[in-house]
Amino acid sequence: MKKLVIVALVMCLALPALADDDAPELQRMKFVERGDNLFVTTVLTKLFDSASYEALDTGIPSTVVIRLWVFPKDSTEPVGFQLLQRTVWYDLWDEVYMLRLDDPAGRRTLKVKYRAEALKLVTAIDDIPCARLADLPYEAVYNLGMEVELNPVSKETLAEVRRWLSQGTGGGLDRGGSFFGSFVSVFVNPKIAEADRVLRLRSQPFFRPKP
Amino acid sequence: MRASLVVAVVALATRVAVADEPPAPTATEPEPAPAPTAVPDEPEPQPEAIHNEEEDAGPLILVEQIDITGNTATQSELIRRALPIEPGDLIRAGDPRLRDARFKVLALGYFLDVQLAMHKGSARGQVVIEVKVIERGTFTLNRLWFGTNTLTPAWLGADVGDRNLFGLGISIGGGFIYAGHGDIDGSRNQLATELRVSDGSLFGTQFGAFGSVTFVQGSDPYRVAGTSADDAVDFKAFPYRRFGGRLGITYDLTTLTRISAGLRLEQITTTLPVAPTQLLPDGRTATVDLHLRPGESYVSSIGASIDRDTRPDPILPHSGGRITVAGEIGAGEYTFATLFAGYEHWWPLRNERHTIGLRLAGGVVIGDAPRFDRIYISDVDHMLTPRALGLVLSTAAPLGILGTRGDKPSYGDLGGSATLEYAARLFRGSGKDRVYGGDLFVGAGLWGLAETSDLQARDTRLWKALPVDVYVDAGVRIDTEIGVFELTVSNALGRLR
Repeated sequence: MKKLVIVALVMCLALPALADDDAPELQRMKFVERGDNLFVTTVLTKLFDSASYEALDTGIPSTVVIRLWVFPKDSTEPVGFQLLQRTVWYDLWDEVYMLRLDDPAGRRTLKVKYRAEALKLVTAIDDIPCARLADLPYEAVYNLGMEVELNPVSKETLAEVRRWLSQGTGGGLDRGGSFFGSFVSVFVNPKIAEADRVLRLRSQPFFRPKP
Repeated sequence: MRASLVVAVVALATRVAVADEPPAPTATEPEPAPAPTAVPDEPEPQPEAIHNEEEDAGPLILVEQIDITGNTATQSELIRRALPIEPGDLIRAGDPRLRDARFKVLALGYFLDVQLAMHKGSARGQVVIEVKVIERGTFTLNRLWFGTNTLTPAWLGADVGDRNLFGLGISIGGGFIYAGHGDIDGSRNQLATELRVSDGSLFGTQFGAFGSVTFVQGSDPYRVAGTSADDAVDFKAFPYRRFGGRLGITYDLTTLTRISAGLRLEQITTTLPVAPTQLLPDGRTATVDLHLRPGESYVSSIGASIDRDTRPDPILPHSGGRITVAGEIGAGEYTFATLFAGYEHWWPLRNERHTIGLRLAGGVVIGDAPRFDRIYISDVDHMLTPRALGLVLSTAAPLGILGTRGDKPSYGDLGGSATLEYAARLFRGSGKDRVYGGDLFVGAGLWGLAETSDLQARDTRLWKALPVDVYVDAGVRIDTEIGVFELTVSNALGRLR
């Protein structure tokens, strides 16, 4: 019994380490002050793998959603947030890539000839305002965290795709069990991810030097 | 949305805070230094701005044809019906339905993967959409029953099914269980079998249909002495046979909400003991109501239910919820009504790495319901052996943890449970290693089961008379490519008590 308790305690203590499998990756970013805002520049080189890059040619839209936060070091309260959404699809007949970019400056719709150019446009974080300078005192240290999703799937869609798992196959004798119990099944069990690809990045710590 | 953002921020911030050896802070630059960028290998023409608001979603395209490829068992028509677009549709190239189409097909549950691609059609502006599917095996092992205890020295059974019979989208399933009998007077070997068939979408509509046939030959134990001991001499059993079926229709109100209605007809044949009684600890003798007609009797009823499930992941739920309500009204030899409801909700914590879940379930049975339609104690106390295809496999009394009344009833007309559960993400995989994820969970709950007549005519304080107690459970849930597994304390107890 004593051993069981010890094992249980060790498992509980090990949980945070086990659960930290998607910790953000460090990526150097460039920060620039201009006017009233802090701007960030970087590139999301790892977002597309070869399959998703090839998929840009299918004519089916691909969407990139980028969320970025600026927060003081050792704090959980963000002082800046930005949401960017980019969609790209291939126009089969005109043989161009169409892009719809939603950023703080508003919506831009572009078309480019080459796939590499389309990729660059949807993965570039190019001079994006991420926080107001008024919220960033001099000499204080900050981090920027970023979550980037390729083709994110809404929670409702995820629920729809996996709903068949919790549906029975017709009212049988174990009617009560569906209300009070749980189920365990063995089958070929496909599952879709919450996005085709997710990047979690963090910047190097940075600060504003006094002028 | 706001809350989830805050949670995400907290998670990100916390993760950064615990990261190893952060690099030294760097200073921001006062002035931007625009740097020219270049794309290797391909020339870089200047992007051309579009000013036509209508073309924000791209030019109009005509869906000339939809080709289904990769399906060997599943009928193409079944896949076509699931698509939100069809030939002849005029859509924008950036129409979100083009992405949704993939998930609508995946939601059928017959495919490992689905990919869409567009090809040029026969004329400018026309396209052919190709839907490439990879089929999966749709055979399922739904349940496995086995165990041993005092009432039933051994039981073994399985419930299997196929969710896509002959590629028609029809689900069939069936279960069989055999249980040897123990030393209880009147008990006999038990067996039960069931055959089910359903189609969630008749001819591609929101209507579905289901039906089932069941046969049970068993013996049901009842207590004749004592209050909580599990000795065979404290019980007797009577033989019975059930044969019947259910037939019904379903309708999908939304993609996540389904209502259903059905009919049930069942024949019960039993040889009941003459005037069964129970010897109480104080020496008195009480009459036992077995809630069945002697000889041959019939149950006929109509029922309806609603089910809404918003959990993005029903196997390892960390958000969303589910609500289910079902009612049944019986007429004829057994005049009764039942109402069952279940509710669960999951609150994500720390960017869904942890979760707190609340599960509520309860039911009420009114009138002269047959014994098998009443709430059985293992329906509400998860630390007892559950019924399998309607068979009672254990006479074990629930663990008395709260010190409430010891002679808790085996069957009741009012019952329920409330569980608070904490689950933590052990790991998540991409599926490449055939494992999607695992959770460690710990839960505790309160359960109760009562005959309302017992509560009304009590000779002790209400707390002592309340047939309530607590249960705890803990274990691991694992979601893999070959199925879903739960290794839990209650599951282990349910095979041995």
